[in-house]
Amino acid sequence: MIQRRTLLGAALAAPALLAFGRAAAAAEDVPIGIVYPLSGNSAQIGADAHAAYDVTAEIINGRHDPLPMLMGQGGGLARLGGAKVRLVYADHANDPQKARAEAERLITQDKVVAIIGSFSSATAATISQVCERYEVPYISADNSSPSLSQRGLKWFFRTTPNDANFSQAMFAFYKDVGAKTGHPVKSVSLFYEDSIFGTDSSNIQRKLAADNGIAVAADIRYRANSPSLSAEAQRLRAAGADVLMPSSYVSDAILVMRAMNEVGYHPPAILAQAAGFQEQSFITGAGDLAEGVLSRSSYAGDAVKTRPAIIPVSALYRAKQNKGLNDNTARQVTALQVLADAIDRAGSAKPADIRDALTRTDVKGVDTIMPWTGVRFDATGQNTDGTPVIQQVHEGAYRTVWPAEVAVAEPVWTVGQ
Amino acid sequence: MTDARAPAPAPRRPNAILRRRRRELALGAALLAALAALPWFISDVYTQNLLILVLLYAGLSQAWNVLGGYCGQVSLGHALYFGLGGYTSTMLLLDLGLPPVFGMVAGGLVGGVGALLVGWPCFRLSGHYYAVATVVVGEIGYLLFINWDFVGGASGLTVPIAGRSWLYLQFGVSKLPWIYVTLGFAAAAWTVAYLVEGSRWGYSWRAVKDDVTAARSLAVRVFPSKMAAAAISGFLTGVGGAIYAQYVGYIDPDSILAGSFSILIALPAVLGGVGTLWGPLLGSAVLIPVSELSRSYLGSSGSGVDLMIYGGLIVAVSLARPAGLVSLFGTRGLAGGRGRG
Amino acid sequence: MTALVLQAVVSGLLMGLIYALVAAGLSLIFGLMDVVNFAHGEMLMLSMFAVLALHGALHVDALLLLPVVALIMFGGGVAVYRLLIARALSVASNRGMVQIFVTFGLAIFLRGAAQFAFGGEFRSINDGWLSNRTVALGPVFLPLPQVAAGLVCLLAFAGLLALSRTEFGRALEATREDRDAVALIGIDRDRIFAFGWGIGAATVGVAGTMLSTFYYVSPSVGLNFAVIAYVTVALGGFGSMLGALAAGLLIGLVESLTALALEPSLKQVGMFAVYLLVLVSRPRGLFGKI
Repeated sequence: MIQRRTLLGAALAAPALLAFGRAAAAAEDVPIGIVYPLSGNSAQIGADAHAAYDVTAEIINGRHDPLPMLMGQGGGLARLGGAKVRLVYADHANDPQKARAEAERLITQDKVVAIIGSFSSATAATISQVCERYEVPYISADNSSPSLSQRGLKWFFRTTPNDANFSQAMFAFYKDVGAKTGHPVKSVSLFYEDSIFGTDSSNIQRKLAADNGIAVAADIRYRANSPSLSAEAQRLRAAGADVLMPSSYVSDAILVMRAMNEVGYHPPAILAQAAGFQEQSFITGAGDLAEGVLSRSSYAGDAVKTRPAIIPVSALYRAKQNKGLNDNTARQVTALQVLADAIDRAGSAKPADIRDALTRTDVKGVDTIMPWTGVRFDATGQNTDGTPVIQQVHEGAYRTVWPAEVAVAEPVWTVGQ
Repeated sequence: MTDARAPAPAPRRPNAILRRRRRELALGAALLAALAALPWFISDVYTQNLLILVLLYAGLSQAWNVLGGYCGQVSLGHALYFGLGGYTSTMLLLDLGLPPVFGMVAGGLVGGVGALLVGWPCFRLSGHYYAVATVVVGEIGYLLFINWDFVGGASGLTVPIAGRSWLYLQFGVSKLPWIYVTLGFAAAAWTVAYLVEGSRWGYSWRAVKDDVTAARSLAVRVFPSKMAAAAISGFLTGVGGAIYAQYVGYIDPDSILAGSFSILIALPAVLGGVGTLWGPLLGSAVLIPVSELSRSYLGSSGSGVDLMIYGGLIVAVSLARPAGLVSLFGTRGLAGGRGRG
Repeated sequence: MTALVLQAVVSGLLMGLIYALVAAGLSLIFGLMDVVNFAHGEMLMLSMFAVLALHGALHVDALLLLPVVALIMFGGGVAVYRLLIARALSVASNRGMVQIFVTFGLAIFLRGAAQFAFGGEFRSINDGWLSNRTVALGPVFLPLPQVAAGLVCLLAFAGLLALSRTEFGRALEATREDRDAVALIGIDRDRIFAFGWGIGAATVGVAGTMLSTFYYVSPSVGLNFAVIAYVTVALGGFGSMLGALAAGLLIGLVESLTALALEPSLKQVGMFAVYLLVLVSRPRGLFGKI
């Protein structure tokens, strides 16, 4: 029902948007490519991303009361005479070949000056290669595989923390919470899907566990989108670790919670590598079983005291998509915001100038909707100031419990009790 | 599964067949010349990419056609040979520095051997049992590669960007050379199909396809002839996989070994005209643009409309033209000829 | 250790019953008219969405929706036969390939249509009578939704076998044995085929309804079950109901034990390998007619 209404709304809004596009074209707008899975298995991710970028473009371009964030004053890019950013969407359907072709199309036909993408790491691999060849900046909003920024690409910039950063935060959290409660983590179970995301994430976690003297009780790589995860759940139960650390997308996140319940296993704590665990459909799908689940996140929707822009941006997004911002969509908003800032600072729509401006990026966390220290890129293009948070499901919603500076509640820590 | 258009040699005189084959060859040469000149009129990268994909799939589908069409063994596991070719050439490049031009041949050989290994147990199966078995073998290949860290596992392999070189199939942002690489591939596959069609093997395959028992009584050695078809088909598919890997610059099991790829390889031949010389090219020339354009221009709505159009088209063409699109252009052996000449 | 194995066996068999029922409809249709429905997974997906939509609109428990969904799917099956399959069977050439790719195109179309109508979100039913409930039987845990699904599957198989003993069942059997001869003795082949598709789809509807009580739903959910369904049918023998049941149970068991004892990401390799091994020794499956 909701979906149909959204579609209807989109259909009604389309002519208006077209008219807007035409008007903007006169003011020499700046085209930016947005490449996401808009069809196929991950279509919902793409639809959500589409809305997030639309909202951000409206904030940057529109005339409205200033929002308390960078580029929140509206009216387009000031240093380019109020030029508007114009978003050109393309669908990669989660296929690296299509991602490559779409990136080429955007660069050569639509003359985009930068590309933002792309959800899955495999598609980011080809898009960023195309960008490197054509010398156009690629902004990775949400690709978390660490290997992407280790290929020596000059035109690759990643605003989001990667899975190495995230995993380090998770183990730092263990240390903190262990010292505070006197119940340290002695063992973890790694549970990850057989994809680039799952294997990369588990490789780092395995290493960090060893570095921190934490035993790995179970190390389970499972087949993504399996019809059943009950045997896997049994192995987790048999291992009986202090903390279960899953790296899964939403379908398997729902399934494994149910499968563990089916074999009567309720791990003392669950700390997820976000992804599926950070989606609304996980919380509704797993229902009561989701209560108390911890997840890393790059976004803290409840940090409204220190990040005042969250309320208005989230409201704009909700008006479109009928749900709040999440870990993915918030990072997408931030990626476009950072890129728009760089274009504005460059005062030019030339890719090379934008790249120069990007390397000099120094955005403060308070000027974004993210709980990060800020955004600054190192030589590999990785944002070094994207400090992650840990959140916990409480009464059907995530709330931030770590680090203390942005936490709104103490973590409910059930290990060792 | 008899094919109405399969040439019936008996009533025709040999020189009629010869004349027809000579016409096919002339048409092939003319089309090759036309396609070779075409890139000079296309400057935009998107259309060039479209042309490259059309030619690549025409070649791949022609490779499938040798086994699935001429020999009548409906394989739904060709992604495996495709993937073997892509992985072989890329691994040889990454680990031994072997230029992909040679890696391509190696990839083809591995693909051909793979097809023989699959064919050996599976050709004992008939009809749908064979089709399902090939699906399963392809799926096993996919699962093994995703779990095999030596070949990059799920993370896949990235072809490093290097300077322009034909040896390494690296052309910077230029797509023109790729058009000729894929045109060469499609032409080679067509030539192989042309040669086997006229060879003794070709006749025995058609006999196998039409009636196994009759073929056996005609002293056609069924099993070896199927194996020969598999080897040729697997080799060409492997070469195609190697080209694809170098062209895209990144491979992972999801993008080149997934079951959906097997269907994509077979589909152009089936819609264009199975067991015909021109079917794969024609099918590819219709299917690839529809699929790419509907995704590029409708897919961004995220509403699934592109899938509905694509799926609907497959249904409509299959039902309206069961003998393939080539049947639009005439009947009998010259199917696809006149209209395109 | 024994508890672990026992649990794996129970979980595997419960899942196996679902596989068996999903495969039954496919096998029935094949046995009747030599057609492999490559949109079978999508029919499963549609039945799950039907449960979800009706559950959302009427606030009725999924279990009560079982007959409604089965009926809807019956209608859907007949429609697919009349609109597409009957035509695919009447083509002059390439019949085998036309039917494969017609159903394959239908599968893509249905995935797109589901995305259009319901969106791509993963959804699930959490407020059913049995949702997330488990009873412990000694060391073995029995998840109630799966147990209910298993019982319904067994009932459905009993129903399919009973059907084969009725007059209609005999007509079905006769049509299967000799398609052309039945016309001579006054059996309307076309109606039998349509009814066969209806029953096949209704069976999938039953499986989908039960599945939706413990599995998530999305436009691509059919893909998770499709390959397993084809393997189950081929392993049991195309057209054999008992074969589908036995093969489903075997596959569920192999899957569960492979995931327990070996690498879970390779569990499907385990079941596929068993299938290939059986096929090498019995090219027409466990119960197929040689």
